[in-house]
Amino acid sequence: MRARELTVFVVDDDASVRDSLALMLSLSGYRSALFADAEAFLAAWQREWAGCVLADLRLPGKSGIELQAELRAKGSRLPFVIITAHGDVATARAAFQAEAVDFLEKPFDHAQVRAAIENAFSRENLRLRRSAEAARLESLTAREREVLEHAAQGLHAKEIAARLGISPRTVEVHKTRIMEKLGVRNVAELVRFALAAGPGSSR
Amino acid sequence: MRRHAPPSRKSAYAFSLMPVLRYLRDAAVFAPCYIALDWASYIDPVGPFNITPWNPQAALALAWMLLGGLQHVPAVMATIFLADLVVRGAPGGWAITALTATVLGGGYAWIAWLLRSLLRDLGLRSLRELTVFAGVVAGGTAIVGAAFVGLLRGADLLGATPIPAAVLRFWIGDAVGILVTAPLLLAAADAGRRAGLAALARRPETLLQTAALAFIVWLIFEGLGGDPAHHFYLLFVPLIWIAVRGGMNGAIVATALVQLGVVAGIHRSGATALPVLELQALVAALTLTGLFLGLMVDERERAAADLRESLRLAAAGEMAGAIAHEVMQPLTALGNYGRSALLYLERGEAAPLPGIVGKMLAEQERAAEVVRRLRDFFRAGTTRLEPLTVEALMAAARRIGEQVIGERRIALALRSEPGLPDLYVDRLQVELVLRNLIANAAEALDPRAGDSRIEVAAARNDAASVRVVVADNGPGVPQTARGRLFEPFVSGKPTGMGLGLAVSRAIAEAHGGALEAPSAGHGEFHLVLPCVHAS
Repeated sequence: MRARELTVFVVDDDASVRDSLALMLSLSGYRSALFADAEAFLAAWQREWAGCVLADLRLPGKSGIELQAELRAKGSRLPFVIITAHGDVATARAAFQAEAVDFLEKPFDHAQVRAAIENAFSRENLRLRRSAEAARLESLTAREREVLEHAAQGLHAKEIAARLGISPRTVEVHKTRIMEKLGVRNVAELVRFALAAGPGSSR
Repeated sequence: MRRHAPPSRKSAYAFSLMPVLRYLRDAAVFAPCYIALDWASYIDPVGPFNITPWNPQAALALAWMLLGGLQHVPAVMATIFLADLVVRGAPGGWAITALTATVLGGGYAWIAWLLRSLLRDLGLRSLRELTVFAGVVAGGTAIVGAAFVGLLRGADLLGATPIPAAVLRFWIGDAVGILVTAPLLLAAADAGRRAGLAALARRPETLLQTAALAFIVWLIFEGLGGDPAHHFYLLFVPLIWIAVRGGMNGAIVATALVQLGVVAGIHRSGATALPVLELQALVAALTLTGLFLGLMVDERERAAADLRESLRLAAAGEMAGAIAHEVMQPLTALGNYGRSALLYLERGEAAPLPGIVGKMLAEQERAAEVVRRLRDFFRAGTTRLEPLTVEALMAAARRIGEQVIGERRIALALRSEPGLPDLYVDRLQVELVLRNLIANAAEALDPRAGDSRIEVAAARNDAASVRVVVADNGPGVPQTARGRLFEPFVSGKPTGMGLGLAVSRAIAEAHGGALEAPSAGHGEFHLVLPCVHAS
């Protein structure tokens, strides 16, 4: 899935590498934003940014890995791809210990960069979907959440009504509202959503 | 049976004859030399069979077999027989002379065989090799002496001399002869040692040392009067001087000169008047002292040279790693631009291509520049230490500073304390460090600031070094960057290599100096460089 709203954030101190990477990325259909060092990125960063970070390991000032740690501390979950021009075991290990999605060695080719970005984007999409779903769940009332949990167990309207001590008709109304709020079209999707949303609050 | 067909008659003839001719030619050179040496060293003979206390000819026989191989044994035996006939008139008769020649020749051959199997290299370059050489010679000549004297005793040719005295005399004569002369002969056959000896001969100091040696020999035998053995210890002083300054090569030549001086002294005074045996024992002690001391000096120098070399390689390795990192940047950009050009072509858009290709050419030039820098470093990378005056260093700093500053409005000031000693450095490498430091200082200065200054100041650090301070009135190194300042690939500059300081420090340390960045409110680097040793 090509997500147009995702951005590749490039942090590299080499102006030519930044410029050429941005050109190649834009021609490959990615949106990119460029930063010369970690400080510039941190100063501009906003919570709603989505995409992935391509950061050089060696930067003037903070390193790519330090940048990642600082972003994590600020609550950002942006996936990181660490780039280095001298790929030794120690730096690769440091990158993976910092939970970088990938590790690219300069000079890299187009396919490697795309694979790393796609990998990072698929994680980002998963994360975005999860957080969107979580937000939608938040919008349910307590009663609606109860109905959803019972429905997720495969119970029919009558059974749910009996358990909650309300009329089956009221249960049907709740279900319709839940499906509207969560943006699902049928009961099967509703069940899948409930399962994906994880353990309910009552359990 | 073609495979087993004999080679043509002509080549078979040539094959069988050439070694024989070569053997005869070598023997024809060896025999007269041996006989001449035997004759020249025929002093203070004792007993009817004339045992002498100095036998350098034994060293000649040993060296010939060591270098040429044991096939020379028959020629050596024949030569010993001939020499006994010519020099001493074969006092024991032909049969006994043939027997003694066989025993002596066989004994020397056995010593040569032992040395050949125990020594990997005849240059006597390690403590182990010199110890094996001295030990085998001392032990071997004692055994050969015992066999020789026993043979004479059996033939009743020893006269009134007691057996232990005769063995001692033979032993000292042969051991001294070999210990003094064989190292000289082996050195003459060794290209490395020959070059070292030639270099020694060109040193003015050598003349002074030789004169001192000759003067002390004269003092011992003439100037001071009395028993020369009493004053022999004086010779240790010039010998130690020579060994410490000239190493093993110096010691080899000096001990040979001492031996010649002692022989000359004995000739002048008449052998009977002097304790010849005691003097020869002293020569043996002096020789062993000189050779071992010289060897220690050589080994120490070699270790110091090895250390310098590995430090240089470390600096070169640092540089190579940094350059590899540097060259990857333009290569990465080249790849990205190339891919972008392909993507445009796939879309059928040609308009952006000239711009992209222009950028590619710029990146290609940038990669080439990095490689040129690498080549320049390795050209300057062979450390060649030489004296350099502080004035010359400051002149280089001025030249570099003017180049670096160019059109910018930065004042350059140079100061040096009067009376500083000369530096002992590799000029090109130190200039590289200065260039790095001055370029760093210039880049740290804000081009818009009115009063920009760079100062290079030299002052005495301690007795053995000079401190060169490169300072600017810019903001200095930020506290956060201080910890990683000297790490390679860490740069505070947008276009920085991130290696200038790492390499500069490696170079300073390879010189035995240092590069420091003390905490200051402004930019300041201290380069400590070694001076010429006051000797």
